[in-house]
Amino acid sequence: MMVLVVGGSGSGKSAYAEQCLARLSAGRKKYYLATMQVFDREGREKVERHRKLRAGKGFLTIEQPASICRALEKMEAGSAALLECMSNLTANEMFSEDPPRHWEAVTDQIVRETGLLNRGLESLVIVTNNVFEDGILYDDTTMEYRKALGSVNERLAAMADRVVEVVVGIPLIVKERN
Amino acid sequence: MKLVIGGYAQGKLEFVQREDPARGGIVLDGKLCGIHELRGETVIVDHLHVWVRECLAGGGCPEEEIAAFVEGHPDCILISDEIGNGIVPVDPFEREYRERTGRILVELAGQAEEVVRVICGIGQKIK
Repeated sequence: MMVLVVGGSGSGKSAYAEQCLARLSAGRKKYYLATMQVFDREGREKVERHRKLRAGKGFLTIEQPASICRALEKMEAGSAALLECMSNLTANEMFSEDPPRHWEAVTDQIVRETGLLNRGLESLVIVTNNVFEDGILYDDTTMEYRKALGSVNERLAAMADRVVEVVVGIPLIVKERN
Repeated sequence: MKLVIGGYAQGKLEFVQREDPARGGIVLDGKLCGIHELRGETVIVDHLHVWVRECLAGGGCPEEEIAAFVEGHPDCILISDEIGNGIVPVDPFEREYRERTGRILVELAGQAEEVVRVICGIGQKIK
């Protein structure tokens, strides 16, 4: 079972994704795949906030800022995992080189690796970001990044059994596979 | 309390006024009133996100002030833009504003009797 959870900043998507995984993971090991790289105080605070949200809920945390399918080596087969989030993973993969990698190469890699990850797990909940609706034209690099994430979201949504948009903390079902 | 959200220029206030013309209501644009002011009236707060921004810029605590306002005006209608669906802003204040507004709306949606999302002038009741 693969669920894609999409939402904006401060939309409550993380809290929802956790609840979603808790329902899907009954009796199985639960992993939290953290993709964010911490560079400063704000980053540390963000990680801390998310740790508090997860505290006492039985998550085992794996830091996997890139090459997401390598997390499989650190997990029991047939477990449940919450991957948070695609926007960081995409940025990490894209900006791992200078100049940044081409968006299509990044997208292909992420989609392929997430597919592998999903096959090794019983349930996978993926958090991703809606960064597409501010109407601003950014520099070429940021627009390429947006293209990469947009394409990742689209292809993961096609793969997912369920796609949920979280709006002001309210889950709206976008896709449900019967 | 009722919460109405949506993108910029989606006709949120018009939707509120069209939906229940008999109820009327006093529209506060980008501001709140005192807890004891306008008691017994239907108070519509438009552009709540603008108020949050100004409150933060002035060093205030929007969460507390909104909670107090809603307590004093339990039948109010709050209208806010959704501002979180974009690229993470470079400026720390912009990031703070965006995230705090998002969390305030999540909190308000949790309390609200009804939440409506307006797009192209059409309201979808999501709670």
